[in-house]
Amino acid sequence: SHKTLLCPNFPCRCPIARQICQTSDFLTASPQRLSLLAFTTEIILDYDMRLSWQVLSLGLLASVVPSAIAVSWGFRDATVSVQKKGAGVGAGVQEKILENKRLPQVIKLGEPYTLKVTLTTQEGESPKKPHQAFLQLKDPDTGLDISYPFSVKDNGKARLELMQDDLPIQFLRSLHPFDAEVIIGSFGSSVAYHGTAFSLQIERNTAAPIPSPEAERYGKLKEIRHIFNPSAKSPPIIVTLVFVVVVLAASPILAGIWVFLGANLNHLPVAAKSAPLPHVIFVGSIIGLEGIFFMYYTCWTLFQTLPAVLAVGSITFFSGSRALSEVQGRRLAGLR
Amino acid sequence: MRWFLSFLFLGFWGAVHALSLGPSLTPKLLLDFLKKEGNILLGLSGKAATPTAINSLLQELEIYLPLGRSSVVVDHFNYDTLSAAEKHDVLLLPRPTSLRQGVKSFFSGDGILAIPRAVGQSLGIASPLIAPILRAPETAYPSSSKDDDIFATGTQLALISALQARNSARFTVLGSVEALEDKWFSAHVKGPKDQKQLPTVNREFAKQLSAWAFKETGVLRVGEIKHHLSDKDGAIVGDMNPKIYRIKNDIAFHIELSEHGFDGWVPFDVPSDDALQLDFTMLSPFYRLNLTPKASTKNSTIFGTSFTLPDQHGIFSFRINYRRPFLSNIEEKHEVTLRHFAHNEYPRSWEITGAWVWVTGLWSVIAGFLALVIIWLYSAPSSTAGVRTKKIQ
Repeated sequence: SHKTLLCPNFPCRCPIARQICQTSDFLTASPQRLSLLAFTTEIILDYDMRLSWQVLSLGLLASVVPSAIAVSWGFRDATVSVQKKGAGVGAGVQEKILENKRLPQVIKLGEPYTLKVTLTTQEGESPKKPHQAFLQLKDPDTGLDISYPFSVKDNGKARLELMQDDLPIQFLRSLHPFDAEVIIGSFGSSVAYHGTAFSLQIERNTAAPIPSPEAERYGKLKEIRHIFNPSAKSPPIIVTLVFVVVVLAASPILAGIWVFLGANLNHLPVAAKSAPLPHVIFVGSIIGLEGIFFMYYTCWTLFQTLPAVLAVGSITFFSGSRALSEVQGRRLAGLR
Repeated sequence: MRWFLSFLFLGFWGAVHALSLGPSLTPKLLLDFLKKEGNILLGLSGKAATPTAINSLLQELEIYLPLGRSSVVVDHFNYDTLSAAEKHDVLLLPRPTSLRQGVKSFFSGDGILAIPRAVGQSLGIASPLIAPILRAPETAYPSSSKDDDIFATGTQLALISALQARNSARFTVLGSVEALEDKWFSAHVKGPKDQKQLPTVNREFAKQLSAWAFKETGVLRVGEIKHHLSDKDGAIVGDMNPKIYRIKNDIAFHIELSEHGFDGWVPFDVPSDDALQLDFTMLSPFYRLNLTPKASTKNSTIFGTSFTLPDQHGIFSFRINYRRPFLSNIEEKHEVTLRHFAHNEYPRSWEITGAWVWVTGLWSVIAGFLALVIIWLYSAPSSTAGVRTKKIQ
């Protein structure tokens, strides 16, 4: 029976994949020496979303041209271990990765630990030293990748040791596990291998601050808006009104005290009869001066006010001398 | 005069051939050429080692090449099976997309590029002036006769990189000068996973690359800059571009920008995640505002914003400092004076409700004075008052 393929292009647009979908031979995992087909089937059936399209297409390509089976690179006898420096071989975590496959567990790498990966590279089935044997770490969040070369002996045995110090700063900031991919390739017609071997999670000492790469880049900066000083505010209007009433209350109290002390306007007709014009002009000009002050308070400038004051003031002076001499007359007559 | 002539000469000539610089074309001369706003496109080839003069020049610019030996970028996954089935040194890659979000891309498009025998460059991280135009695929690495430690691999290797100096002079390093050969303009290539042959787009990419490298594309120009006092509807009050404003005035600012495309000046569109920003500063920015496009003419876009001037008086400047990878730099500075309130621009005392107490005090005193004058002039002594005071004595 057919098994369901998880094709990374949805819907399957690649003509090869569609052909393979319909072929039942491919889907039955044959236990023969076609290890390529075997591992491809395994990976296809793995529902992990981080399927490498290149690995899939390698297998598909190989199966479409069965007559000229291209030899392809791969690895076997791979182990990945995490150990503290100086500890024995048995301590720490150690996992075996099956041939050209992927380890399901996540390997954790803490601060003082060393990650050690050993494998044997092979071309087809025979161990051989390739020109390129890298372990590539890829950050799924940012897409950044970095490759570390294995040191490979002529018999294909390769090893690599990594510590947290060897990792770039951007990788230390990531919270998700990385894909650790093995890249094995060389010159010639053998098909190169690029597949995820395991997932690596960096465990940082959370007390230490995350280092950040300091580099200036041109781009949009944050907006700045000036914060104004708070404008002056008056107290609530009811407070003001209470005190206005208090101030205004002084005037009737003063008037009352004057009345109590005997203030009156009895001499007004007397003064009006003896010197009417000077008195009218005098009192009028005093009121006029206050009026000029009111105009200055509301809208006049000093240059408009001073001539008016000069004019009205001189009227006050001349009319005042007449009016006050009349008052003096009343005083000398004993009426005041 | 000599410098002017050499600028013209090298400007028309364009590319500087990499294999031998000659004794008179020193790195210092090339840097001086850049300082005079000349552009340089440098083509390298993996077939020969790069001369030390070029290496030292590029080190000045923070572009690092493998030292000494000849080194070629190979990729066992993205190579041309027709021409480089054994050596894998002809790389097949798609045209690059934009460098990051918010940066306009001048080199993107469909198709496959063939990059034969490229010299990989590693870019320094500190400088904001350099940017990779074309990065190697993630499985690529530099291979040379002496396989000592590899200085960069994968997407950290740039096949074509560019430097734009602060005066907008451009220095482009093309890792594979063979990619510009006629043979590769009309070649057909087939990758290890392709089923049929595909044509290359080296011709179109070369057009894009040379247009950018010699300042035909990616050039910005400032038209008019206008600022004015505005009323509450945004209309202009008074003159355009006055030299002096008052604190807390509402003003509007507009700048006209054009971009040079293949066919002349066109309106400039800021990329979507990016923004053209106006700084209103005195020693440090009081405002940094994003300018939005308000209108556009046939050749330009007018960006503008409006805001309230700060409540600090002094000499301020409107600054536009727009520097982005692959776009020429815009730097504008216009000074204005901000004066404080004049003595007659404050609110009057009766408008301040807290002052009403003193205003009523003032006018009640004046009223009392007038009453006192009238009473003093016309009051007759009262007998009862006199009796009271006499009694107290």
